[in-house]
Amino acid sequence: MMRRLPLLAIAGMVGLGAFAAARMRRPQRIARRPQPRAKRFGPVALSATVARDVDRSAALLALLALADSGLEHYRGSFHNRVMYVPLGVAATTMVACLRDAASGSRRTQRSAAVPGLAITTGIVGTGFHIYNIAKRPGGISWLNLFYAAPLGAPAALSLAGLLDGTARLLRRDRHAFAGAPLARLLAGIVAAGLVGSSAEAGLLHFRGAYHNPAMVIPVIVPPAAAFLLARAAMCRRGRHAPARWMLLSLAAIGLAGTGFHAYGVQRNMGGWRNLSQNLLNGPPLPAPPAFTALAIAGLAALRLIETGA
Amino acid sequence: MSGARYPGYDVLAKRHTPSWNEKTRRVIDQRLALPREPRFLDAAEWQTLEAVAARVVPQPPDRPPVPIAAMIDDKLKEDRRDGYRDARLPPLREAWRRGLAALDAEARQRFRVPFHSIDSAEQDALLEAAQGGRLAHPAWGGMRCGLFFAKRLLLDIVTAYYGHPTAWSEIGFGGPASPRGYVRMEFDRRDPWEAVEDKPHAG
Repeated sequence: MMRRLPLLAIAGMVGLGAFAAARMRRPQRIARRPQPRAKRFGPVALSATVARDVDRSAALLALLALADSGLEHYRGSFHNRVMYVPLGVAATTMVACLRDAASGSRRTQRSAAVPGLAITTGIVGTGFHIYNIAKRPGGISWLNLFYAAPLGAPAALSLAGLLDGTARLLRRDRHAFAGAPLARLLAGIVAAGLVGSSAEAGLLHFRGAYHNPAMVIPVIVPPAAAFLLARAAMCRRGRHAPARWMLLSLAAIGLAGTGFHAYGVQRNMGGWRNLSQNLLNGPPLPAPPAFTALAIAGLAALRLIETGA
Repeated sequence: MSGARYPGYDVLAKRHTPSWNEKTRRVIDQRLALPREPRFLDAAEWQTLEAVAARVVPQPPDRPPVPIAAMIDDKLKEDRRDGYRDARLPPLREAWRRGLAALDAEARQRFRVPFHSIDSAEQDALLEAAQGGRLAHPAWGGMRCGLFFAKRLLLDIVTAYYGHPTAWSEIGFGGPASPRGYVRMEFDRRDPWEAVEDKPHAG
């Protein structure tokens, strides 16, 4: 029975992902339709729904950053007081994004302080992590890249901030930022995030010797999705079915990944009953859904691209 | 325990935490339930062994002592051998029987009383002579006293002492770690289920 549980969990999560993805597609399908609904879902309404999805994506990324930094910095015994900072910033970002997503209003009064703080915290955090790796015996080495503070983790907070910032612009009906179309900008942020997260998964799954064949999936699919999304952004209008399907799969893969990681925790000695060790020592539960969050933002970007907004 | 380096730390408090599983609990229970009287050695050998152990690992008076003699007696009773041995020494049981008898004979020859009746300085002197290979009473039966001291007597007494939870608590050792091991592996870091050192001790 215990052996079947993880499989059930994975199946459940894949189903959940598919359901969520199907729900997300709806406004896009409507937007593509001609009259009379186009009146209700004109470019303005579209950017509002896209902004809502981007906010949700940013909120999920912030939640994952909160869970991951909370867990890992607890493991690090909050040795440095600064290790509390990402928890506060991630929680603030998450709440702000959830409020924006729930408000439904096109305009937000909120200042750029929250996304700015998240972006800055991510950058400074990366600096701290590089310092943590470099100060260990052996400096920048495979061993320290594997076992010291993870290099790519703080960037998740920067990504959440960038997405939140993009959502703010969308709510203000802005279609470009610093001369770049928002659709392309959003696609670029997502593609970069996917490549970075995939590199992190590749490094840590290499540390895990790819003992489960499924461990190669997050090394292959996200860069493919990033490539297709980037190509769609360059082509602009028209349908981009391969990119859409790849992003939809990625959303499901992110959730399934947490199921796999939960199974990984169970496989450690003592399993879930020994969670004070295995939750910290096993594969990180909050890591895989970052792909789901990025896929949600990627689908939102794709909707902007396809409608030429 | 006054002046303890890990005040308040008791490894037995881990009994019902993820650090111990059923097998661990069984093994530790067995170890703690050893009878405090000889089951393999005779009364004289037991008294000699207790006296020797008290000189090799003196124990503080303010806590129940680790029953070193009982642990070694149990090892002898079960004939739990190490799986290796210096070929110049006889097997486990024979080595202990002969060694204890010889130390007692040495004491009787010099002081006309058994080993456990001479004072601690005299016991130390005899043990030092054994360690230096300078004892030659016929009771040794050809067994080299230096070898016996280093490879049987010390080994069994020290491993018995540090195989007991009381000694683990004393030195802040985590004890059994199954299934839960350790997560925070870097220097100078500790998991919440590890002993807390009172203050940094020099040297």
